[in-house]
Amino acid sequence: MRAIELTHKILVLNGPGLGDLSDYDGNTYRGLTLEKIRSECSKLCRNLGMELDFRQTEDQDEMFRWIAKDSEGYDGVIINPVGYSRAATVSYALYRSAIQMIAMLKKPVVEVHISNIFSQSAEITQPLHEPVGDMGFVCGLGVQSYLLGIRAIAHRFGLDAAS
Amino acid sequence: MAKTIYFINGPNLNLLGTREPEIYGSSTLKDIEDRCRAIGARLGLTVVFFQSNHEGAIIDRLHEAINTAQGVVINAAAYTHTSVAIHDALRAYKGYKIELHISNPHLRESFRHVSFVSPVVDAVVAGLGIHGYELVLDVMASELQ
Repeated sequence: MRAIELTHKILVLNGPGLGDLSDYDGNTYRGLTLEKIRSECSKLCRNLGMELDFRQTEDQDEMFRWIAKDSEGYDGVIINPVGYSRAATVSYALYRSAIQMIAMLKKPVVEVHISNIFSQSAEITQPLHEPVGDMGFVCGLGVQSYLLGIRAIAHRFGLDAAS
Repeated sequence: MAKTIYFINGPNLNLLGTREPEIYGSSTLKDIEDRCRAIGARLGLTVVFFQSNHEGAIIDRLHEAINTAQGVVINAAAYTHTSVAIHDALRAYKGYKIELHISNPHLRESFRHVSFVSPVVDAVVAGLGIHGYELVLDVMASELQ
């Protein structure tokens, strides 16, 4: 079998807390693990002919270094920042400045969340309110939130999943 | 029997393709509808498109959906940020529902930052362009399996 040439690279970044989803929004996403998300993203990227770099960190500073410094080497970035409006988890100001960096690089970004962050029970966070150009938003679809983000970025490059 | 998905589109979306194409793209709502119908047929879903500039007409369609549609995709456009009545109608609809926007309202003027729709839907998809319509249709197909 001929190796498929991967022409585009996508970076998927997961923020603090996503390493362990065992008590996360239990009713809706029971059984979902970061490993499962990684594996679904990887399968889709292979199908699209894209190279995937999938990361998670418990350290918000590391997360922002990744966004600000590493994004440049990729064609698009998917970010699950978790709860950046909560001072205890991730700083909104840091997140905003990191996103502004990507905007300057003119890279497409999609912010994703596993659950619907607007549902009354959640109130974890708020989306970024900043005119940063090219940024999509998907929440509430579980692992599909990631997959939609990846497909949306791939579509920009004329890459669509075979059905 | 084929499952039915309603795509309910709010005010000014009839101008799609001509209104601020730099934000909303050059496809018309009819183009999007045709594409979604074709994809729906392939996925075994009946796709019903509706657009109105009138709040009450949107609410009537949501009520109709209670008995006829297994899923609703709502792009309430500007009513997203003003309509408690659409919020209530969506709350009464118990099928699977997705809020969809072509652009990302959270990156635009502050009066677009509040959505009365988001708390009463299952999921929100925004800023993925008109491609978002096709993507949510795939989600509907897998959710309603």
